[in-house]
Amino acid sequence: MKKIIKYLLLFILAFSFLLPFLIMLLGSLKEIEYALLDPFFWIPEDPSLGNYLYIFRDGVFMRWIFNSVVITVIPVFSQMFLCAILGYIFAKKQFPGRETIFWVFMAVIMIPQQLLIIPKYIMFAQFEWINTYWALIVPELWGIMGVFLVRQFLQGIPNDFEEAAYIDGANDVQIFFKIILPLSLPVVATVGTFSFISNWNDLFQPLIFMTQEKMYPVTVGLASLLGKEGNFGIEMAGSTLSFIPTFLIFLFFQRYFTEGIQMSGLK
Amino acid sequence: MTLKKNNPNINKKKNKLPFKERFRKNAIVYLFLFPILIHFAIFQVFPFLFSFVLTFMDWKIIGNHEWVGLKHWMHFFQDKLAWKALWNTFMFSVYYIVPTMALGLILALIINSGVRFAGFFKGIFFLPVVTSFVIIAGLWGWLFRGTESGLINWIIGFFGIEPQLFLSDSSQALIVLAGLSILKVAGSTMIYYFAGLQSIPKELYEAAKIDGASKSKIFWKITFPLLKPIHFYVAIITTIGSFQIFDSAYLLTGGGPNYATTTIVFYLYQQGFTNLNLSYAAVLSYALFFIILIVSLIQRKYIGKDTAIY
Repeated sequence: MKKIIKYLLLFILAFSFLLPFLIMLLGSLKEIEYALLDPFFWIPEDPSLGNYLYIFRDGVFMRWIFNSVVITVIPVFSQMFLCAILGYIFAKKQFPGRETIFWVFMAVIMIPQQLLIIPKYIMFAQFEWINTYWALIVPELWGIMGVFLVRQFLQGIPNDFEEAAYIDGANDVQIFFKIILPLSLPVVATVGTFSFISNWNDLFQPLIFMTQEKMYPVTVGLASLLGKEGNFGIEMAGSTLSFIPTFLIFLFFQRYFTEGIQMSGLK
Repeated sequence: MTLKKNNPNINKKKNKLPFKERFRKNAIVYLFLFPILIHFAIFQVFPFLFSFVLTFMDWKIIGNHEWVGLKHWMHFFQDKLAWKALWNTFMFSVYYIVPTMALGLILALIINSGVRFAGFFKGIFFLPVVTSFVIIAGLWGWLFRGTESGLINWIIGFFGIEPQLFLSDSSQALIVLAGLSILKVAGSTMIYYFAGLQSIPKELYEAAKIDGASKSKIFWKITFPLLKPIHFYVAIITTIGSFQIFDSAYLLTGGGPNYATTTIVFYLYQQGFTNLNLSYAAVLSYALFFIILIVSLIQRKYIGKDTAIY
């Protein structure tokens, strides 16, 4: 009996975490244009894909999704590649200033991005990067956190493979691609998933760097729809569409998220 | 750590190698580190310094820039709205930090208690962490509609509570925003606590059971104190996170009603990008930076050794 109550409470808790997502999904299937007087207005009597069709025909929404894809996919792959190389350099290579450079990197992590956004705005205005993808791609090509994660990971791996490869005459670019990169795939996946989430979900930076509607990523686009009465169904359909990539990544890479969170904080 | 001890010797040996040989072993450093350092200087170091210089100027998007000395800093100390924003941010932290930690700990205890489908539940609790603020805030706004048609108002109606205004009430809006952040972030504090719970040796629990300790006593005398480094770490990161809160205020309340949800980052955004007073926004961003710096320094002082960064 005690066990049943325990599981019942657990299911209620889990359900309340899932309820917003359920409202989103069901609400997206309901076409409503009138005022919402009922707390359960989001339950559709006859589900339809009308809201999705509207979005697909609308054009600008698909453009927002496309923009989000561009400013997410490029940084994700670039971060995975560059953070792997830099993590390797800082974990295994000897060169003057190594510790100092890494220390400066770690100190810079403490600077909130809200501080950098004002000077970046002025710089990007000079570069004519406002309302271009450059503003959201170029600064995100690598990240200190990713370097830190890969470095932590590689420091725990013995040098034997590498040294054997040197003796066989390999240069270190070959060693990186043939030995280090395959070894560090789990942590590289973590870097990729983190980068995906932070770029796909970012609102603050694109809000400032993208002022034309056609350059909005889907976060800023959805924000511009928010709060307009009567658009609930369309807003929910848009939310659902923008949530699908996140959900897929989450489904397949959940392990890397949670491991990454643990690694970034506690050793 | 043992590796580092050997480093000086390796270094000396390497410097005697011919250039070609050194290049073979270190090509990747030459090829990648320099471009990255230039990138780092342009997009991190320069903006950081430039932002400080900006605080002493009147920077206009178009037109000439003038040096104005401490004008913006003096204004900051007299700007009631800036202090209100700091106060709001502080109050947001008060509403947010402890509940986020407590909920994270409870969720971690649940999934660590040997329930079935623990991984499945862990996934559900973690889902809001990876979901964008825009999606969650959109839904939150509908749940907390300040009319009788809002779902939360409908639920509290069962308990005989009058419909509340929520986001349109200046005494409630900040709490509703904190609630949103609590549910969104609890999943990640859960992960930290879960890792902490798993690192507690099982023998301790067994010994306590043999001594006949009750479940709540075991929790308060063993589990809770042994999680101390994690409490501390989670407290620091949620504090830093709470000072940077922006998205929900922008999305749901626009800083209102009556500036009740104007947080420091929201105020910075408004000053910088609505009023185009970039220099004053830079002052506000430095105020934020100093607060975060102090919190981080406390972290270094007390748990720096545990995090093994340095």
